[in-house]
Amino acid sequence: MDFSFTPKEEEFRQELRTWLEENLPEGWIGGTREVYKDEYEKAAFLRSWQRKLYAGGWAAIAWPKKYGGREATLMEEIVYQQEMVKVKAPALVNYVGIHMVGPTLMQIGTEEQKLRYIEKILSGEEVWCQGYSEPNAGSDLSAVQTSAVKDGDRWIINGQKVWTSFGHVADRCFLIARTNHFEKKHKGITVFLLDMDQPGVETKPIIQMDGQHDFNEVYLNNAVAYDTEIVGEVDEGWRVMMALLMFERSGIGGQVFTLEQQFNELVAMTKDLKEDNEPLLDNPLIRKTMIDLYTRSRGSLLNYYRNLTKTLKNGRPGAEGSMDKLMVSELTKELLSKSISIQGHQGVLWKEDAISSNSYWQDNFLYSFGQTIGGGTSEIQKNTIAERILGLPKDMGR
Amino acid sequence: MDFSLNQEQEMFRGYVRKYLDSVGQTKTAREYIKGDRESLQSLQTGLAELGCCSINISENYGGMGLGALDLVPVLEETGRALLPGLYLETNALAVPLLEKFGTEEQKEKYLPNISNGTSFFSIAWLEPGGSYHPAGITFTAEIEKDQLNLNGVKTLVPDAELADHFIVLVRTSNGKDKDGISLLIIDRSEANLTMRAQKNMDETRQLAQLTCTNTEISMTQILGPLHQGWDALQEGLLSFNAALCAVIVGAMEKVVEMATEYAKIREQFGQPIGRFQAIKHRIVDMKMDLETARSLAYYANWALDSDAEDCIQAISCARLFATEAFARISDHNIQIHGGIGFTEEMDCHLYVKRARFYENYLGTTEQYYNQAAAALGWLDNKASKVLV
Ligand SMILES: Cc1cc2nc3c(=O)[nH]c(=O)nc-3n(C[C@H](O)[C@H](O)[C@H](O)COP(=O)(O)OP(=O)(O)OC[C@H]3O[C@@H](n4cnc5c(N)ncnc54)[C@H](O)[C@@H]3O)c2cc1C
Repeated sequence: MDFSFTPKEEEFRQELRTWLEENLPEGWIGGTREVYKDEYEKAAFLRSWQRKLYAGGWAAIAWPKKYGGREATLMEEIVYQQEMVKVKAPALVNYVGIHMVGPTLMQIGTEEQKLRYIEKILSGEEVWCQGYSEPNAGSDLSAVQTSAVKDGDRWIINGQKVWTSFGHVADRCFLIARTNHFEKKHKGITVFLLDMDQPGVETKPIIQMDGQHDFNEVYLNNAVAYDTEIVGEVDEGWRVMMALLMFERSGIGGQVFTLEQQFNELVAMTKDLKEDNEPLLDNPLIRKTMIDLYTRSRGSLLNYYRNLTKTLKNGRPGAEGSMDKLMVSELTKELLSKSISIQGHQGVLWKEDAISSNSYWQDNFLYSFGQTIGGGTSEIQKNTIAERILGLPKDMGR
Repeated sequence: MDFSLNQEQEMFRGYVRKYLDSVGQTKTAREYIKGDRESLQSLQTGLAELGCCSINISENYGGMGLGALDLVPVLEETGRALLPGLYLETNALAVPLLEKFGTEEQKEKYLPNISNGTSFFSIAWLEPGGSYHPAGITFTAEIEKDQLNLNGVKTLVPDAELADHFIVLVRTSNGKDKDGISLLIIDRSEANLTMRAQKNMDETRQLAQLTCTNTEISMTQILGPLHQGWDALQEGLLSFNAALCAVIVGAMEKVVEMATEYAKIREQFGQPIGRFQAIKHRIVDMKMDLETARSLAYYANWALDSDAEDCIQAISCARLFATEAFARISDHNIQIHGGIGFTEEMDCHLYVKRARFYENYLGTTEQYYNQAAAALGWLDNKASKVLV
């Protein structure tokens, strides 16, 4: 048993830390930066941030060197996530490109596709979104209805996508559509690399409960994709979608470290905020809540390390990733919920009127509801754990 | 980064598992409930032959000189089988106390016998009134030259009938609070004790009330610093609690397996009940509790072995989580089994009862919350409130 990082990993950490200090915008690390005017300004900033990452060689560290990566080890990826969380680095605007599309193309894309797309994913010149969910296909993606019909070397695509994160700024979409009808609904789905910049694609913003606009509806009205934009085989897109899930080696790490950080910030908050001149943390009920949260957030971090050890030994991640996702997202939600409760009635004060940390708690509390839904709901994670880890029978209808 | 037990530790687990399988796992506990002491005796001999009793005893005294983590797999297996007896108390409380505070004579007298599996220790802490606080200790040991004169009553002494030695918390002076408390080893064969059995809801463990009236024993039986035994005890309790977590993890693992297996084979409405999400998802919750308890327990034992900075909070939080989660999931297990889960015949209730036995064993949940808070630096000037 050993929780240390090797000198080489620590060297890597130092190199990244130095780079971040030199390259993050003024005031970022101290937290005095300004917030963005709107989501387009935010998107522009995030794009420029990704260009910087690219220039510094920090955009896709796990990628092979020949595609501009560093061939980072799994442990270096963990270090990377720790450091990014520590400085609250800006979000990776091309997350879908770097973690999903790029690796998928490297593995199953054609030579032309690799040449055409990969470099631009890394540089952030082309930002990607993920077009899976539809109004009638969420947890059950085999129910996708968006259709693609062949017309010469073109495919005509009609339908609607929803909850498409970054859709309003994306240049391309990793899209699933139905190209055929078989008895097995998983068959007959095809993956397209759709150009978002065309008359047949219309994006409408969806405002979230936290007041932000990160995701969108995407309407496809005779949108066009070409044969050359198909990944893998026609009708065999399910396999491509599944392969993609395996690329996320380091999985939910970022959220685990964020949870750890939020816990530490919560401790600081309960020491700062006072009720009748007594720090909140001196209230035995609040202290008990805090010890519960400490225990379980340590537990989730340690669970993550134990699963990581397994991944390191087996060379690939197993279904345990679902356990990490379930625990971390649920616990994050609970921690943030408590962070509001313990502020008392003043906890409802929002934005510039919030009593602590510029509305950090209120904003994160509202945002956290998405975490147990996006990327597969908690219920779906439980099904996966039950079926793949415990060997319990599959749900009805599957 | 490597957060797993090593190959030798897992191999050792394999031997113990195989042996306990061969004697029918919880069968020994059930025979013990019925009053049969022989199968436990022979099982203890079997475990000693495998080397279980000598793992964490130094080589000078016939042991293997290994650490807390090496004990973990064995403890897990004893938890799984709901082993009766004093393996935990002996190897995870008495041994660390003896190793750290024992005199050379005490070590020579006790450790080799523990190591070869012929000696077991119990702990006599609580008194009528049931308080684990220092103020609860009124059992007196008056110093008369090189002798001690013992007067008092101890209750809920675990498996007193199986113990040949007791570690007893006594007052050797009228100090305030924890001052004046000493630890004492009483050899059953050399002292005049009155014992009265007390009924335990967890019938796999026996309890007794132990009374001394003008019992004379030698001063050399004091373990650790005179009048300052309380602090010594805390050190022993760190080892004990880290080990207790491992026992609980083993028991929890079995509970999750029972629930999972039953949900696969029991059919209602024409399908296995494990297909109903009310059952399926609850089992997943149980599995999450198990794995979290395991991570916390392994880390606690690692922290103990490596003297980590966060050792105390790691151990108290692991204990808090494990005791609560064990009670929670063994309750769920009965519900998942339906009517048959409510019967004496099924093992489900044995785990519920053991979980309750551990809940406030050698310190209450509230005390461990305070210990964790103090270790995290959240109690500042209120350290006097920290009782365990
Ligand atoms: C912040 C955020 C970002 C997202 N970004 C994207 C994106 O970029 N691209 C994209 O394609 N999608 C995205 N999504 C969509 C996300 O993947 C879906 O919302 C999610 O898979 C659930 O689908 P749904 O919303 O249709 O809910 P439904 O599937 O309708 O679920 C409704 C409820 O029913 C439960 N349920 C459904 N099936 C079962 C079952 N078998 N057993 C038990 N309970 C069940 C669910 O758990 C949930 O509680 C995003 C979502 C969020 C919140």
